[in-house]
Amino acid sequence: MIANRGEIALRINRACQELGVRTVAVFSEADRESLHVRQADEAFCVGPGPVPRSYLNIPNIISTALVTGCDAIHPGYGFLAENARFAEICADHGLTFIGPKPSVIAAMGDKATAKRVMKDAGVATTPGTDILDSPDEAKKAAQEIGYPVLLKATAGGGGKGMRVVERPEEMERAYASATAEAEASFKDGRVYMEKLILNPRHIEVQVLGDEFGNVISLGERDCSVQKPSHQKLIEESPAPHLSDRARAALLEMAVRACKHVGYTNAGTLEFLVSGENVYFMEMNTRIQVEHPVTEMVYSVDLVKEQIRVAAGEPLGYEQSDLQLRGHAIECRINAEDPRNNFAPQAGTLARVVFPGGPGVRVDTHVYSGAMVPPYYDSMIAKIIAFGASREAAIARMERALRETVVDGVNTTIQQCLEILATPEFRDGRYDIGFLPRLLTQTAAAER
Amino acid sequence: MSDEHQPSPISNRVRRLAAFFVETDLLRLRIERDGDEIELGRQVLHRDPLPEFPADLIDEPAPVRLDTIKADLVGVFRLARPAMAEGDLLESDRELAFVEALGIRNPVRSLGPGRIVTIACHDGDPVEYGQVLFEIDRG
Repeated sequence: MIANRGEIALRINRACQELGVRTVAVFSEADRESLHVRQADEAFCVGPGPVPRSYLNIPNIISTALVTGCDAIHPGYGFLAENARFAEICADHGLTFIGPKPSVIAAMGDKATAKRVMKDAGVATTPGTDILDSPDEAKKAAQEIGYPVLLKATAGGGGKGMRVVERPEEMERAYASATAEAEASFKDGRVYMEKLILNPRHIEVQVLGDEFGNVISLGERDCSVQKPSHQKLIEESPAPHLSDRARAALLEMAVRACKHVGYTNAGTLEFLVSGENVYFMEMNTRIQVEHPVTEMVYSVDLVKEQIRVAAGEPLGYEQSDLQLRGHAIECRINAEDPRNNFAPQAGTLARVVFPGGPGVRVDTHVYSGAMVPPYYDSMIAKIIAFGASREAAIARMERALRETVVDGVNTTIQQCLEILATPEFRDGRYDIGFLPRLLTQTAAAER
Repeated sequence: MSDEHQPSPISNRVRRLAAFFVETDLLRLRIERDGDEIELGRQVLHRDPLPEFPADLIDEPAPVRLDTIKADLVGVFRLARPAMAEGDLLESDRELAFVEALGIRNPVRSLGPGRIVTIACHDGDPVEYGQVLFEIDRG
């Protein structure tokens, strides 16, 4: 069963079809006309549009799996993908959760615990704290670590429950808003603190592990083009200007960490990279949105590997089988207004035309006439361009973006083109502060 | 003044009876007493025949108010015992079926009186959220 929606539900369905695995889709009343509903072998409505009543409705999702005779549940990303309790409930009902063991999800999902575990495995982590109980404790900790600091939700992700604190007088308010946002987003308001590494790069490592203790890394992705809300917009693999030494250290660290925790299935370790310094940030115990760039440069189907590993098979690859080839870039096409702080857009897509041609992959769930409901993430497509070199991949992505037409809502297409045209991106010398700075400059120029 | 202009006793009786007759909806009145015989009658008004309604209009049942009862969770549909059938009358709220989910029987009630028009699922069918289970005529 595919316990998700949108493009990732289609992506999982494709992998299953190629493996000869029958699929059951779940959907909300708002997604009745969605492509993943049409393409699965069976589809079951599990609730009304709002996420808590449908895609997070564990009883209805488990019940769907049971009444349709499913063996396994692929959670995709978001929703229930990193919910250890859900993984346990699956096991309790004889269903295979396609992901790591619940105990590993729980340990890595709690970001403060994850840092502790990684430290034990000899992985470099950013200076920081365990869970903070009060703004006063946060102030004391920040004094020791040194401002600026970052408050982060321990159950968090996607920039939710995260606040930058530059001065002691900001702490009280930042602590209150971070805990409130974390509570609202994850039903867990606990936050911890990290030293804010100024203008680092966000580089992550893709890993795969099986039940036999084998763990491989599939290179890294640079995800430093992030909106002011810390949500990624453009990702690429390999990371530009990463020294061979730093890359080798990063990949070795990731594999060592996974072996230390007995990691199985697909996962991603996120690092902050500042010069030659590498700091573990967090681990995502699921498939990532940006996984296609890795698939393009390593010619590996990560979702199929997830399904095989969950079925108890050994990994289909050894580390030495994997050869990096070429360069891949992904642009997220979101129904958002970049000129209005990336405000999400809902509505009908009057006309949609996606690009094609050599080296271009489009993962999407929308079509001409499709509705973008107001309840869900605003991403409507991912365009991935592959090239023999980074320059070739950029040129192909620019061509692909220009071919793309989405009428009916504002999108990030033009914003992505503007980013690709900047000298910083073309040179591959950008950090996580790049896009916020670019937006500020653009706004100033427009005024 | 001659006696000819004085009403006779018989004519007085006829007047009184006629006044009474008008107040009633009797069609005919006949009285025999002491050899006298009085009979009053009125003409029946002929009314136009009622217009004829088309046969399909005459055959159409009175308008009904249909309520649908939907599944509010995913599970397996089971009819309650004794099982109701389409056309059965419900005198009050009662359990019609249940949706079995994760080992729990979640009752499906009629939510009032009515007549079961449709049972939309078979016993043992998996049902999704929002699926129509029953149609009830509340008319």
